[in-house]
Amino acid sequence: MARIVIRLDEQLHARRMTLTELAARIDITIANLSVLKTGKAKAIRFSTLEAICAALECQPGDLLAFDPALPAEE
Amino acid sequence: MNRTSAQALSVARPVIQGLTILNILYAAGITALLVFSFFIEGWPQRPLGFDLTHAHPYAGTGLRTIVVIGILGAAIVHTILRRLLAIVDTVRSGDPFILDNARHLQAIAWSVLALEVLRFVVASIAAAVWAPDKVDGFSIASWFAVLLLFVLSGVFAQGARMRADLEGTV
Repeated sequence: MARIVIRLDEQLHARRMTLTELAARIDITIANLSVLKTGKAKAIRFSTLEAICAALECQPGDLLAFDPALPAEE
Repeated sequence: MNRTSAQALSVARPVIQGLTILNILYAAGITALLVFSFFIEGWPQRPLGFDLTHAHPYAGTGLRTIVVIGILGAAIVHTILRRLLAIVDTVRSGDPFILDNARHLQAIAWSVLALEVLRFVVASIAAAVWAPDKVDGFSIASWFAVLLLFVLSGVFAQGARMRADLEGTV
């Protein structure tokens, strides 16, 4: 997801929540959340997105953004 | 994995290793035959017990050529068995959908195709030298196997790509 930016850090920071706490709440491993947070994920399941949005009380648009200035994925 | 597949998998490794040893022994045996053929006086009529070359003047050359093709075939079979063993090992370790296996299967498909071509060459030599109506070098099952192997290699390549995608899915 080269031009898709994940804004998980900002959302966590706004809610004073750590990655470990979020992982425990939505029952996803910290390793998988780290992959998502660092933008290394190739895809995100709707179920994961739904769980994160429910835990952080936000919209998918708050977590994901498209940045055309970034290089496209090959 | 069901019980039959698990049993087949546990048997596959020793069977492939056994076949590898047999193939090496076969290659060594026919290489020895080829070498000895140059040193045995009156070859091939004396070891055969009848004069083949009288009726078929090129029988000796034909036999030697077929033996050389046999050695080449054994070398190809050896590469097939090594690749098959590598595939079986990845299945046993629970991670068969990798690009290496797709490449192995494609190489096996080309190797089986080469063996079929060699079989046709042997049949042609045999037909040209001594038995035009006795040798059949074509087997539909083998060509079907070649086709199947190419398809299977494509399936593995696609499976490996899907697996890589799945690994990056959160």
